[in-house]
Amino acid sequence: MTDSADLERRYSRLVAWYPAAFRREHEAEMLGVLMDSARDRQQRVGLADAADLIRGALTLRLRIPAQAPGTVAAAIRLMYVGAAVALAGWISTVVTERGVRSAMLRSAPARWHLMLVHITAVEVVVPVTVVGWLWLAWANGRGQDRARLAFVPYFGVATLALLSMLGIGAAVYAPADLISLALLWLVQISAIVLLFNSRSAHYYRPAEASGS
Amino acid sequence: MQETTFLILTALADTSQHGYAIMTAVQEISDGRVRMRAGTLYAALDRLREDGLVAVDREEIVDNRLRRYYVLTPAGTKQLAAEATRLHANAIAALSRLKLAGGMGT
Repeated sequence: MTDSADLERRYSRLVAWYPAAFRREHEAEMLGVLMDSARDRQQRVGLADAADLIRGALTLRLRIPAQAPGTVAAAIRLMYVGAAVALAGWISTVVTERGVRSAMLRSAPARWHLMLVHITAVEVVVPVTVVGWLWLAWANGRGQDRARLAFVPYFGVATLALLSMLGIGAAVYAPADLISLALLWLVQISAIVLLFNSRSAHYYRPAEASGS
Repeated sequence: MQETTFLILTALADTSQHGYAIMTAVQEISDGRVRMRAGTLYAALDRLREDGLVAVDREEIVDNRLRRYYVLTPAGTKQLAAEATRLHANAIAALSRLKLAGGMGT
């Protein structure tokens, strides 16, 4: 009996990754199915089962709500693209840092410090913006008006970053960084156009008053 | 339509089933090829309910556990029939081009 109680506790720790609304509806039922499919005297969660549960949780968390209008759904897809591009850009910045450094020290040493500040800022800030993209996707999917508005300063920061990169010679010395920033900027402007499209407007409602 | 979706709808085509029974039926229908696990099944069921293709038929408590039976909605039946017809037509076309139609199993 204790074996099965242990196993059930392990399964429920994985099911805890699912969205709250889904758990209210399906948690008990799902644990029942998991326990029904478990072998006799099984104590640990199999690797394939664990991977399947985590994948299911991710699928549900990233899923675009069916009632979202097409424009909002497209904007959310762009936000996932944005998260992926930001992540790829971050990796490329980390990987190319040495090359950028040696190229600039050779031919534009005076500007290397500025570039270093920029690269360091990217390395620190971008992981945060990846989380930001995912939050924006989630909150826009739920029609939260503040998430739509939050996109505007997000876009402003990306524009400034792009302009300052151009100003310090990224086109010559750090083309990979510039390309990923430019891609992000394009993704953001497309998402903004979609979010503030008249077909999206009815989906958004003002944030609920806090404390009520 | 994804194969997972197709198999779940097929499992519910003639009768209502609970989660574990759907998993077993999917394995049977696919001749053991697809082994569906709980995470995949419930993510799919959640979507299918949201899309109005599947609904909850009834609930039972068995051994202190909640068992929920799912059933196809009329829209689900219609969509499954359309998909099965499409796949069937494609399969016939493939077999006839391969000159295998009618010659199968003989």
